[in-house]
Amino acid sequence: MKRKLIAAVGVAGMVIGLAACGGNDGDDKGKTDAGGAKEITVWVMDGSAPKAWIDAVNAEFSAKHPGVTVKVEEQQWKGIQEKVTTALSENTPPDVLELGNTQTAGYAVTGGLADLTKDKAKLGADAWQKSMLASAEYDGKLYSAPWYAANRVVVYDKKAYAKAGVTPPTTRDEWIAGLEKLKAADPASQPIYLPGQSWYVLAGFIWDEGGDLAVKDGGKWKGGLGTPQAASAMEFYKKLQSYSTAPKDKDEATPQQSTDVVPKGGVSSWIGLGWEAGGAEKALKDAGKEADFGYFPIPGKTADKPGTVFLGGSNLAVAERSKNKELAKEWLALAAGKDQMTKYAAETKGALLPNQAGANFTPAAGSFAEAMGKGGVNGRITPVTPGWANVETEPNPLKEFMTKVLKGEDAAKAGADADKEIANRINK
Amino acid sequence: MTVHSQGAVTAPQDAPPKSAGGQQTPPMTKGAGPSAPRRGRKPLPAGWLPYLLIGPAVLSLATLLLYPLIKNVILSFQKVDKIEFIQRKAPFNGVENYTQLLGDAHFWTVVVRTFAFTAANVALIMLIGSLVGILLNRLGKWMRLVLSMALVMAWAMPIVASVTVFQWLFDEQFGVMNWVMRTLGFTGYEQHNWFESGFSTLVIVTVLVVWGSVPFVALNMYAGLTTVSGELYEAARMDGANGWQTFWQVVFPNLKPFFTVTTFLEVIWVFKAFTQVYAMNRGGPDRASETLPVFAFVEGQSQGHYALAAAISVLTIVMLVIVMSFYFRLILKQEEEQ
Repeated sequence: MKRKLIAAVGVAGMVIGLAACGGNDGDDKGKTDAGGAKEITVWVMDGSAPKAWIDAVNAEFSAKHPGVTVKVEEQQWKGIQEKVTTALSENTPPDVLELGNTQTAGYAVTGGLADLTKDKAKLGADAWQKSMLASAEYDGKLYSAPWYAANRVVVYDKKAYAKAGVTPPTTRDEWIAGLEKLKAADPASQPIYLPGQSWYVLAGFIWDEGGDLAVKDGGKWKGGLGTPQAASAMEFYKKLQSYSTAPKDKDEATPQQSTDVVPKGGVSSWIGLGWEAGGAEKALKDAGKEADFGYFPIPGKTADKPGTVFLGGSNLAVAERSKNKELAKEWLALAAGKDQMTKYAAETKGALLPNQAGANFTPAAGSFAEAMGKGGVNGRITPVTPGWANVETEPNPLKEFMTKVLKGEDAAKAGADADKEIANRINK
Repeated sequence: MTVHSQGAVTAPQDAPPKSAGGQQTPPMTKGAGPSAPRRGRKPLPAGWLPYLLIGPAVLSLATLLLYPLIKNVILSFQKVDKIEFIQRKAPFNGVENYTQLLGDAHFWTVVVRTFAFTAANVALIMLIGSLVGILLNRLGKWMRLVLSMALVMAWAMPIVASVTVFQWLFDEQFGVMNWVMRTLGFTGYEQHNWFESGFSTLVIVTVLVVWGSVPFVALNMYAGLTTVSGELYEAARMDGANGWQTFWQVVFPNLKPFFTVTTFLEVIWVFKAFTQVYAMNRGGPDRASETLPVFAFVEGQSQGHYALAAAISVLTIVMLVIVMSFYFRLILKQEEEQ
């Protein structure tokens, strides 16, 4: 009897074991409209929509459409692609969703986004910045409305810079010389906090060298990391990173540099976006300290032009399976329209560039926005092709490449490996 | 040989309901059978009863396990990437997923890694678990209570919570382990990265998995040891056996079924361990700590190759079945020996 029992336990254990290997079904969120009252769901990313602004947008929307409420759900960038893919496959996806500009084409091609080409007039598409429109379109059709753009600048601690006698640099050489001085002035602090996988920063350096992340060669894409340009970009990144004790195998979001690292002190400068600078200021304030940040564009190789930067940004799209597509478009037209975009730019103090020139906010002297505007003239985006989004999913070959080189591997070899993976993913 | 005699007893016990059922059918013997239940309602034919009782279990197993399993196997022969997933299409793809996998060097690296990881973990779990089990048996009442409670708490700890604790312990910038190493006078632990390579990551995962699994083995071992009669130990002592000999000559043969079943259970659990490995470092760095279940998840969820992930999980099941076939052969052989 004991043996039989044991055998039975074994079988049961095995069955349970196998069960866990099973499939992964997305669960349907039952969202019913009780009593005719409608609700639309909007997904925005962490740091994109100031609360005061989006509350005002929703209030205006609800006033225009009585009985319709708007539910805003804030999402994290980490792992967002998996989440969006699952959401778009469901019967009740979010009605409006924010997509990173590098990822929009990847979703446009899946058919998960509503075609907005016919709604151009309603959305006020004529006023949009042409540079921002590029990522919102695919194959001649409009799949999203540009929302905002932003680029990174160097955020520095004015006190630390003053103490070391360093002024904001305009060339790479000055930048490094300044970091050297900072190190000498305060050995306990990091002259710059730069984690090993900040690939948007590296992308700028590669563009500075005349290289690119991936190029189209014939009908196929191929990666650009195995090139001499990428190797020299990586060499500079490595030099910069040597002034930081940040982990070589993490990106700027783990731990979150703005709220988990900078407020702890001991960081004289770092590279970040407007919402990160704002987050750091707030975290410092919560800790009873006062932020004293200055900002300068990422220096270029020569003083006449700043370094090339990745022009990040987001678009707002409507899900094809949305149950309230028309309402969703209405919301989109309102949020991305001139009136609200003007308020948006003001609310973010210009740190996020609105989708139309008419809504621009004139930044204050010495503000983040001012530095961003100076650096943004040299902005570029990742290759606009549906396959690019696959490259950015974790494990991201760009990040692995950076970690390998920072740990001493030959850049050409690590780059060749990464290129194989990049080509594989884009062309898939 | 309690095993055999008890097994023999069960057979006649199974028999009466059948014969009773046979007696029910002719009306003249109504109520004559001593085992026939006396109720107001007409009783169900007793032959159905066992099936009725087992029905819910079979039904729930079929819906919760068999159905997804079949769906998974079908999916593994289709082409479902991000585009097909969102468009809800699933064109058949033949054995394309399998040929792609079997020709992929990365897949085979993961397979070898998974087996090595499983072997190392199970060996450590069984060794430490058995030792702690023996210790439990030897301890006095209070210490045993304290140790058992500690074990149960480790066993009851939710996995993700314990992984989070381990991540902070071994954190590069703020981790307590680096502080401990520095305090102990070791150099090079200013900012030591414990997750530097796939191997070092899996070593930390191993510490976590072993820590989490030892309680199960130890408590079972202790339960098993209480069934070994004290006379056997006494006899061994009389014959002049030392502790080592007593274990191998007395304890081990008596608890052999326990060792077999626990080892195989641990093999299953470690082989399919997903949460610990994935939550620790998402299979990184550079995919070097991926085991089969993590590999399937990264390919499926993160990369959006859903059908390929299904093929990986089917191959995982096949491998586990092969491993488990040794277990069943062992059990069958033991049954025959009886």
